[in-house]
Amino acid sequence: MNWFSRGVRNAFRNATRTTALVVIIGLSIGLALSMLIANQAVSQKINSVKSSVDNTVSIFPAGLRGFAGGGTPLTQSQLKAVSSEPHVTKLDETLSDRLTSSDTNLSSAISAGSLGRRFAGNGFAGGNGGFAPNFNFTPPVTVNGTTDPTNLGSSSATTGGGSFSLKSGSVINGLSDADVAMVGSALAAKNNLKVGSTFTAYNTTFTVSGIFSTGTKFGDNQVIMPLATVQRLSGQVGDVTAATAYVDSIINLSSVTSKIKQILGSSADVTNSEQQAQTAVSSLQSIQTVSLYSLVGAVIAGAVIVLMSMVMIVRERRREIGIIKAMGSSNLRLFGQFMAESVTLTLIAAVLGIIIGTITSNPITQMLVSNSSTGTSVKAAGPGGGFGFARHFGGLAALRGDVSTIHAAVGYGIIGYGLLAAVVIAIIGTLAATYFIAQVRPAEVMRVE
Amino acid sequence: MLKVKDLKRYFKSGDVVVKAVDGVSFEIPDGKFISIIGQSGSGKTSLLSLLGALDKPTDGAIEVDGSDITKLNANSLNSYRANTIGFVFQSYNLVPNLTAIENVMLPMEFIKVAKTERLARARELLAEVGLSDDQMDRKPGKLSGGQQQRVAIARALANKPKYILADEPTGNLDSDTGRKIFNLLHDLTKKEKTTIIAVTHDLSIAGKTDQSFRLKDGKLVNSSVAKKKK
Ligand SMILES: Nc1ncnc2c1ncn2[C@@H]1O[C@H](COP(=O)(O)OP(=O)(O)OP(=O)(O)O)[C@@H](O)[C@H]1O
Ligand SMILES: [Mg+2]
Repeated sequence: MNWFSRGVRNAFRNATRTTALVVIIGLSIGLALSMLIANQAVSQKINSVKSSVDNTVSIFPAGLRGFAGGGTPLTQSQLKAVSSEPHVTKLDETLSDRLTSSDTNLSSAISAGSLGRRFAGNGFAGGNGGFAPNFNFTPPVTVNGTTDPTNLGSSSATTGGGSFSLKSGSVINGLSDADVAMVGSALAAKNNLKVGSTFTAYNTTFTVSGIFSTGTKFGDNQVIMPLATVQRLSGQVGDVTAATAYVDSIINLSSVTSKIKQILGSSADVTNSEQQAQTAVSSLQSIQTVSLYSLVGAVIAGAVIVLMSMVMIVRERRREIGIIKAMGSSNLRLFGQFMAESVTLTLIAAVLGIIIGTITSNPITQMLVSNSSTGTSVKAAGPGGGFGFARHFGGLAALRGDVSTIHAAVGYGIIGYGLLAAVVIAIIGTLAATYFIAQVRPAEVMRVE
Repeated sequence: MLKVKDLKRYFKSGDVVVKAVDGVSFEIPDGKFISIIGQSGSGKTSLLSLLGALDKPTDGAIEVDGSDITKLNANSLNSYRANTIGFVFQSYNLVPNLTAIENVMLPMEFIKVAKTERLARARELLAEVGLSDDQMDRKPGKLSGGQQQRVAIARALANKPKYILADEPTGNLDSDTGRKIFNLLHDLTKKEKTTIIAVTHDLSIAGKTDQSFRLKDGKLVNSSVAKKKK
C-alpha cells in the first residue's frame, strides 16, 4: 500500500458512484472523441478542397458563358490593363467560335441527340431559329483561338474542361498568326485527320499540327488555333470571349480579383476559384467550428464532473484526510493519492468513451455534414456533352458532392487522444479538489463525531 | 524532555474568545506515563492537539528535546508528526478502506520504511496487541471497538515514536476492556521507554500513572506526582 495504490483502490470504494462516474465521464469523453474525429474529417476535406484551388481569376464578357447567354466580347485592349496589373503573372485569352458547314469541310463527331435538337430547336444554338425541332441539326465544331493552347481550364465553358494531353504531333504556338491547328481526337477520327493532314475552315486551308485528347467527348470535338488566327479569319480582331489571369500568390487573389473587376467594370463577369471553393467549404467550416466547440465543451463538462465529484469525495473523507495528515503525510502525497483515484476513474471512463466515440463518430459526422449542406448543394452536375454552361459549374458541384462522402476515420491516434483527454480531465478536475484537501486541519480528527 | 512554556490557545467565535488553553507550563522527563484529567471543556483535547502539532498555539512554546515545535515549517511539522508522535484517539480513527494491517503500515510509509519491512513490523505489532491473523486482514468495520483500539495502538507504535498522545483511548470501551487497553499501552511503552500523555476520565487509571495534570478552564490547577508507583 502506498499513496498510489490507495488512490487506485479508493476509485472502487463505492460501486454505485464508480459506475455512475465512469458512465458520465465516459459519455463526455466519447462525445469529445467523436467531435474530434468529425473535426479532423472535416478539416481534412477543407484542406483538400482548398488545395485544389489555384490562383487564377476567370474573366468572361458580362452575361456570356461559352455559347450561352449573350453580350459583347471583351477586347484585348481592355485586357491589356489587366495583364499589366501588379501580381498578375500571365494572362491567357481565348476567342471561341463555331464552324458552320458552309465554311468548313469538317463534320462533327457528336450527333445531336435529343438534347442537341432541343437546344437547337429553341434557337439556342443560333442560326436555326424557330421552335420546331430541327432534325437535321448537327452540333457545330467548336474553335478555340487561344494564347495558351495546352490549357483547357482557361475557357472550360467552351473547351469542356478536362486535361489536355497531346496524342501526336506538336503543340501550336498560341501567339502566332499561322494557319495551323490542333484537332481533338474524336474530330480527327471522324474526319480521318492525321498530323500533317489539311482541312478547310473559314475557307482557309489549315495544317494539322497535333492531335490531342481531353478526356471528354465534347472537348475532343474541337479545334484549337492561335488566338490571332481565329480573330483574323472570323472577323473579330481584338475580341476575346474568355480570359484567365494568373496571380503570383493565393494571398493576392482576392485583391487582384477586385482590381480586375474595377478595371473591367460592368463589361465583364470576374470570378476566382477561391470564391467558388469558399462557397463549398463555408458549410464545412461551420461544422468544423461546431465540432470544435462541442469538443472543448465535452472536455470541460467532463472536467467539471470530475471536479465536483472530487470535491464531494474530499469533503466526505475529511476525517480520513485528517488522520493521514496527523500521522505525518504531506499534502503532496495526499494530492497524489486523490489524483491516482481520479485518473483511475477517468481512464476506465476513457475506455468506455473510446468505444462510444468509435461507434458514434461516423453517424455524428454524417449527420452534421448532411444537416448543414442541404439547401446549399447544387442539384445537378450539368449535362455532360451539352453546350458548356453547366459544365463550368460542374466541377464545383462535384466538389460539393464530395462533401457528403466525408468519412470519419478512427485511428490509433484517437485512442491516444481519448486517454490524454482522460488524464487532462482528471488532473484539471482534481486540482481544484486539492484546495479542499489542503484546507483540512488535522486537529479536526481529535473531535469525536 | 518535553517543556511547555506559558502555552495558550484561544478560539474566537464571534465576539467571544474561548480560552481553551490559557497559560499552561510544565515539564515531562522522558519515559513517563502522564495522565491529564479535567472536566469536559477544560481544554484537555486542545492541549493534546498542540503537543502533537496538529494545531498551532496562540502563544507560548513547546520544546521537544530543546527545539520549539511551534516554529517548525510545514515539512518539519510532517516529519515531527510522523517520527516523534503516535496518536491514539477516542474514536479510534482507523482508515475505513484499509485493512487492520494496512492501517498499521500507513505511518511507516511517511518515514520511508521499505514495503516488506512495513508488512513484517505491522504483523509483529498486531500480534503483540493480540490480534489474530484473520483479524489483521479485516477492515475496521468488521472489528469490535476493543479490537479497533488495539489496531490504533499498534499504529501509534509503528514508527517507534518518542511520545504517545492518547485522548480518552478507553472512552468508548467498557471499563474492563478499557483497563486492558490501558495496561497494554502502559506495558508496551514501558518496554520502549516511550513517554505517554493520556487524557482520561477514569480516576482509577489516572491514579496509576507517574504524574497527573488537572486542567480547569484551560489552566493547570495542580499536578500531582503519584505517590504509589505501580
Ligand atoms: N475549533 C474550536 N472553535 C471554537 N472553540 C473550540 C474549538 N475547539 C475547542 N473549543 C472550545 O475550547 C474549549 C476546550 O475544548 P476541548 O475540546 O479542549 O475540551 P476537553 O477538555 O477535551 O473536553 P471533553 O472532555 O468534553 O472532550 C471548549 O470550550 C470548546 O468549546
Ligand atoms: Mg476532549
